[in-house]
Amino acid sequence: MSVRDLKGRRRWLALAGCLVWLAFTLFPLYWVGITSFKSPVGVVGGPTYIPFVDFEPSLTAWRELLSGARGQFYSTFMASTIIGLSASVAATLIGAMAAYSLVRFQFQVRLLSGLIFVFVAVGGFLLLRDILGMGQALALIYSFIAALGLSVISAWAPLPGPILKNKDIVFWFVSQRMFPPIVAAFALFLMYSEMGKLGFKLVDTYIGLTLAYIAFSLPIVIWLMRDFFEALPVEVEEAAMVDNVPTWRIFFGIVLPMSKPGLIATFMITLAFIWNEFLFALFLTNSRWQTLPILVAGQNSQRGDEWWAISAAALVAIIPMVIMAGLLSRLMRSGLLLGAIK
Amino acid sequence: MSQIDLERVTKTFGTVEVIPPLDLNIADKEFVVLVGPSGCGKTTTLRMIAGLETATSGVIRIGDRDVTDLRAGLRNCSMVFQNYALYPHMSVAENIGYGMKVRGTPKTEIAKAVADAARILNLEPYLNRKPSALSGGQRQRVAIGRAIVRQPDVFLFDEPLSNLDAKLRIEMRTEIKLLHRRLQTTIVYVTHDQVEAMTMADRVVVMNQGRVEQAADPITLYERPRNRFVAAFIGAPSMNFIDGALERGDGGVNFVAEGGVKIALADARVETLSSSVGEKITLGIRPEHTMNAEQAFPAVDIKVADVEPLGPHTLAIGKAGQADFTAQIDAASPVRPDEMLRVSLNPAKMHFFHANSGEALGRLEG
Repeated sequence: MSVRDLKGRRRWLALAGCLVWLAFTLFPLYWVGITSFKSPVGVVGGPTYIPFVDFEPSLTAWRELLSGARGQFYSTFMASTIIGLSASVAATLIGAMAAYSLVRFQFQVRLLSGLIFVFVAVGGFLLLRDILGMGQALALIYSFIAALGLSVISAWAPLPGPILKNKDIVFWFVSQRMFPPIVAAFALFLMYSEMGKLGFKLVDTYIGLTLAYIAFSLPIVIWLMRDFFEALPVEVEEAAMVDNVPTWRIFFGIVLPMSKPGLIATFMITLAFIWNEFLFALFLTNSRWQTLPILVAGQNSQRGDEWWAISAAALVAIIPMVIMAGLLSRLMRSGLLLGAIK
Repeated sequence: MSQIDLERVTKTFGTVEVIPPLDLNIADKEFVVLVGPSGCGKTTTLRMIAGLETATSGVIRIGDRDVTDLRAGLRNCSMVFQNYALYPHMSVAENIGYGMKVRGTPKTEIAKAVADAARILNLEPYLNRKPSALSGGQRQRVAIGRAIVRQPDVFLFDEPLSNLDAKLRIEMRTEIKLLHRRLQTTIVYVTHDQVEAMTMADRVVVMNQGRVEQAADPITLYERPRNRFVAAFIGAPSMNFIDGALERGDGGVNFVAEGGVKIALADARVETLSSSVGEKITLGIRPEHTMNAEQAFPAVDIKVADVEPLGPHTLAIGKAGQADFTAQIDAASPVRPDEMLRVSLNPAKMHFFHANSGEALGRLEG
């Protein structure tokens, strides 16, 4: 039975239910909207609901926000935009490559090679730092390079033990998102500040925060894109292979255009995640490359909860994403594969 | 020269051997059709020639080149797939010219090649359309166009007509044959449809479980099948088989089967079959070589289960003794289901097979 079949009173009840839910979801947005136009006195003086009737709108909050009186609004907005766009593009591109290779090629990784990596990385770090007295950052770099080299070389040797296949590798990627981000945030901050001591500044830099976001977005990108690539007909790529089209050209010229809806959806999800991300931005930036979530949270100052300012900043954070989603959803129309195969 | 030679080629997937050692020689400019039931290894064989699968062992040669370990792109083959496999985001012209564009051919040359292909395949009005705006037959013509601009040594077709409706399939069949006559390029064509195989091929290779059962021109396959599998696979409706034995009696040799089937053999056949007297053998007769009862020919009685009037003639489907039997009779014959019907068999068109091995016995030479 569908809602369309309902008759009489039931139909009105269903409509009423939908309207209640609509009001429930829209009201917070409305509330943020009108609050940003209230004066400080209007906010504190008890709830008022309708502009021009209940209260006189004021542009105080917006004027303060846009004039930069409450934090570097423009630079924050630009930082959010630059980091958000570049990290999403990079993560989508790199993740798509990884996902494609996981769909079209069979990988075999020996579990023992993975264990060798862990032991050499951790053991080598402890050895270099505690016994040979090397600096934290250098010890880390050397032990990881050694671990990577050894594990790659050992993968060729006929080691005993289980062999990990593609689905294990995908699980490994996705598992990166299963532990609480705070764990990674702490570790990243420590690593970044050690790198800073070596003269390679990462904290509060564009490259530092972008790299962190790319790394943290990759699992979800790989997971999503893998599904899109699996749905592609392999014959189209085989036709190109027979036609002597190089592999990179097949990927960029045929596979990526065919999975455009998936790429855009994945890009959108990644961008939304990065745009809204708070924890990494809090740890890894302090002034120059602060992002919007930090600015919004920063409105909560020593003077108490200044809701008018928070509301204006929150709206600024929401609106670009709404516009982006609206524009890109037009490109996400399905049916792009139509005509490739029967 | 672009003949294809497969020498002792095998293919295993994991532990499953799909192709046991296979030898196959395809002459230059020949149109060879690989046909067989699904899972017989015909597509795998084609894909090994294309380079989309690597042979587990053995040698594959195209012309004078050993291509066994060469990747697909370097073998100079063109392949047409069952489901077209067009690039959906490119127009018809871009689809046809993409391979040349990638290889860095000058634009004017590409345009000329595309225009030529479009003219041959009647695609000129559609050059700027996307594949999604084409019908199935047009899409497959685009795929063929993409194949011919490559000017390959070998064309490979993997069931290219299976997705088309019956009428279009017959039209495209003729188009591909005309194309072969025009281009004079070696063609290897895979299909599961024996009518397609018979109508198009210079030579048909009937495959079963990875083996070549018989490779011959269509008429030879039809008239002198090497074994029971080929006999059953080629021809529609399929050949009738009656299991029985040869016995001496009544002054000659008779084929006798359960259910009162007894057929006297002509003297010419007795000579070639005399060594098999007393053994279990199978009689094969095609429906089109049966007829309404006539005095001069041996006959069997069949219990009719169903009658299929086709126009020019009628098929009576039923049982002769224990065996399923389809007879072709006059359209005017007043036969109804559940009646008994006496049909004659053309003695010159009878086939005999060894019951256990399925090998043809006493094949008529000629």
